[in-house]
Amino acid sequence: MAKPARGTAFFILLSALFLSGGAICAHAAEIHVFAAASLTDALKELSAPYEKASGDKIVLNLGASSLLARQIEEGAPADLFLSADEEKMDGLEKHRLLLAGTRRSVLSNTLVVVVPADSGLKIAAAEDLAGPRVRVLALAEPQSVPAGIYAKGYLQGKKLWSRVIDKVVPTENVRAALAAVESGNADAGIVYKTDAGISKKVKIAFEVPRAEGPKISYPFAVVAATRQPDAARRLLAWLESADALAVFQKYGFLLAGG
Amino acid sequence: MRIGLRHIRLPLHDFILEVDVEITAGRAGIFGPSGAGKTTLLDLVAGLRRAPSASIRLGDRMLTDTARRLTVPARARRIGYVPQDLALFPHLSVRGNLLYGARGGGEAGGRFAFDHVVGLLDLGPLVERGIAGLSGGEKQRVALARALLSAPELLLLDEPLSGLDRPRRDRVLAYLRQVHEELQVPLLYVSHHASEMIALCEEVVVLDRGRVVAQGAPGALLGSAPETARFSPPGTLPLVG
Amino acid sequence: MSAEEWQVVAFTLRVSAFAILLILPPGLAAAWLLARRRWAGKSLVETLITLPLVMPPVATGLLLLKLLGRRGPLGGLLHDRFDLDVIFTWRAVVAAMAVMSFPLLVRGARVAFEGVDPRLEQIARTLGAGETRVLLTITLPLARNGILGGVLLAFARALGEFGATILVAGNIPGRTSTLSLSIYQLVQLGKDDDAFRLLAVAVVIAFAAVWVSERFLARRDAP
Repeated sequence: MAKPARGTAFFILLSALFLSGGAICAHAAEIHVFAAASLTDALKELSAPYEKASGDKIVLNLGASSLLARQIEEGAPADLFLSADEEKMDGLEKHRLLLAGTRRSVLSNTLVVVVPADSGLKIAAAEDLAGPRVRVLALAEPQSVPAGIYAKGYLQGKKLWSRVIDKVVPTENVRAALAAVESGNADAGIVYKTDAGISKKVKIAFEVPRAEGPKISYPFAVVAATRQPDAARRLLAWLESADALAVFQKYGFLLAGG
Repeated sequence: MRIGLRHIRLPLHDFILEVDVEITAGRAGIFGPSGAGKTTLLDLVAGLRRAPSASIRLGDRMLTDTARRLTVPARARRIGYVPQDLALFPHLSVRGNLLYGARGGGEAGGRFAFDHVVGLLDLGPLVERGIAGLSGGEKQRVALARALLSAPELLLLDEPLSGLDRPRRDRVLAYLRQVHEELQVPLLYVSHHASEMIALCEEVVVLDRGRVVAQGAPGALLGSAPETARFSPPGTLPLVG
Repeated sequence: MSAEEWQVVAFTLRVSAFAILLILPPGLAAAWLLARRRWAGKSLVETLITLPLVMPPVATGLLLLKLLGRRGPLGGLLHDRFDLDVIFTWRAVVAAMAVMSFPLLVRGARVAFEGVDPRLEQIARTLGAGETRVLLTITLPLARNGILGGVLLAFARALGEFGATILVAGNIPGRTSTLSLSIYQLVQLGKDDDAFRLLAVAVVIAFAAVWVSERFLARRDAP
């Protein structure tokens, strides 16, 4: 319980420092945040107050964690990496691309099956996905994108993967899978509960029980090649603070390990 | 064969083509400088061009009558055309070109039969060849034969002797006379060389900047020195009498 | 090269060829109308046809997505009436390729038609040929080389199509995976060696298509 209290105090201290026009902040830093697509809305909501308080500017690069990790490996200018699975973070850590000591697992999520808001399709259990009324099933690319890996893992666990594989439409990231269901071009899709939450055009047909579902974990870290380590650390610390976590939870994210 | 070119009015670049004549001779010519509208007039007769106002008659057939919104399409006019650039089909052999519009048989005495026309213009040895290797004079004769093989009721010729040297010009002129006599095809011949007019035509219409300035027998109209008389700039017409 | 990789190549060639066959009749017709006729609204049509050439391919893809989706005007009709899906199927790949290649085909064919001396067509008419005969015996044979050059260029474009395709067809292994989409995905997965292999095949095919196209275009004026 000490953590949130410490975080809040830290935040107040930080704001006071910034507001007092401390010499620390001689010019505004531009912090490049590479973040998983599922964090889009929460991050956008969090950016404004942070920018106001700190004077720094947050530049978001949102996409599939696999693509972002690849970009970081190729040298793209990233300061923070917020990944939707540990594997992508492991890859960067192995190549010593992370700033030591900054990596932390922060959030978790739930998988859901969504259908178009006006669809009459009933998915009572995962088995229904193999039924004839589901002709097109949208998932994030199951070979690389975390949401897709989680979904495939889940379906494999239920012995359904081979039965649905012919209907699977792999998309670039989880939001694209959501869009496919929103447009009606997919009969159903497997996305995060947080994605379903921000869309009015889909409804949740089935929520994967946490006991059966994969362990979803969102690790955050500072990228080793960052040009402004201090500003990056500050932002990371704030994202892990109680205030920020409250915003994440508002969107439906769970706390890591929770 | 009477050719009626009445009430023709067609605005061109610098002037308006305005023609209103009747041609009665079987070998008639249109004489005038380059740009006088001669080719345009031929295009109108052939049905390749339209005018806001025109009444064109060939014999007793009405080909164009803008007043009655009548325009017979080019393909139905039975008018043969040898244009200035000859327009031989490069992708066909001589035979292919000749046969393109051939109607041959059915005519009296088969005068438009393939062998007859080919023989008349001495094209026998050339028939199987391609167009590319032919000489200027040979190409002229092929274009002429192609037009004739479509059994036309009128033959239009646009500067057929341009680009030919003296001896070849005389030869082609001789062919033209023969064609007219043996095949009984009326000719409408366009040129800016007075000598050709005098050599071939019985009647000449003189055109200058789109207007008919004279009509009559070529010898009388075009001067006493037919060898050297060529058309001078507009306004300095070497008319006689 | 694995069997799957060859399958991707074969699939790409097949759908590209099909797309070109589809656009050939309307493309030639449009090219001829643009070359030989004047009419009200001609400039507008010219511009519309050229649009896919200059618009961002994904923008074109977005328009196709809206048009051919299950809720779109055309896609909806196909889905409701014929139980036919376009999005996320090979049909969407063909549609994207067709739309993106169309301007190239029309341009090439139009230049080819314009290169045919209209005088030849006119003389053919005086020789008694109707419009169809003129088209088949004079215009098309003389425009043939230019048209073939344009067709091959359009084919090469179809082969390499990516931006619109990824939006409307996705990259579904075995179903809509083309050469370009496969290369993209391999790069995303970090499988650069495999990506370069496919890249080499793509380059060879594109090179061949463009090279032959140029040969035809060079012989444009020789019948």
